[in-house]
Amino acid sequence: MTDLKSSMDVSMGGLLAQAGRLSNVAQNIANADTPGYKRKLTSFTQTMEANDAPSVVALAPTRRDSSQGQLIYDPEHPLAGSDGTYEGSNVSLLVEIADAREAQRTYEANLRSFDNARQMSRSLLELLRR
Amino acid sequence: MYENLTLFQTASAFARHAEKRQALAAQNIANADTPGFKPRDLKDFAQSFREMQRQSGENGFSGHRTAFEAVQDERTAAAPNGNAVSVETEMMRAVDIRLQHDTALAIYRSALGILRTSLGRQ
Repeated sequence: MTDLKSSMDVSMGGLLAQAGRLSNVAQNIANADTPGYKRKLTSFTQTMEANDAPSVVALAPTRRDSSQGQLIYDPEHPLAGSDGTYEGSNVSLLVEIADAREAQRTYEANLRSFDNARQMSRSLLELLRR
Repeated sequence: MYENLTLFQTASAFARHAEKRQALAAQNIANADTPGFKPRDLKDFAQSFREMQRQSGENGFSGHRTAFEAVQDERTAAAPNGNAVSVETEMMRAVDIRLQHDTALAIYRSALGILRTSLGRQ
């Protein structure tokens, strides 16, 4: 029973981590047209707990992709430099959507795992009924 | 009292094996995108069961002192970031675990029914 409980905790951690990743993706997509925006990178770490407690996944501190954004030629733009260009965001929608799909897939897998543990503990408790 | 009957012991060890596997599968899925993470699973129940029997004598199998050993699952190739979790494999594993747990509980319940009948109760 304790294993099932810890299984649910681990799945919960996974769900939160994937939700955080989706939130970063949403921010990147929303800022795809913001000049000078650097996309946020999501990475995961395992938090090892004392003894042989299960390793729960957590979001690592958010980092920014520091690569140069696309240079857009628009001399009328307020941010345009002397050469008539300004730096756009370095968000690539294709990458963000692929990332969102992956996050969604993993989120669903975590949800399944949570449900599996829940149903297993439920059927264990069914043994008491009679 | 029930714990001393071999059938109950085996069934509950089988159920505990499934629970521990579920705990590991949940970790595998939660870490599906963690760099360098390798999926783990427990050793086969039959194998661990034989080992435990050997250790505790032919018929002195004790369901309480069951320590199942976790092993790394080397079947899937690692992604460039060193992560080797395949969500599909984990889903199949989850189904397998569920089946194992249901089987264990069904055996337990059936043995309980037989015991009740032998005591003359319904």
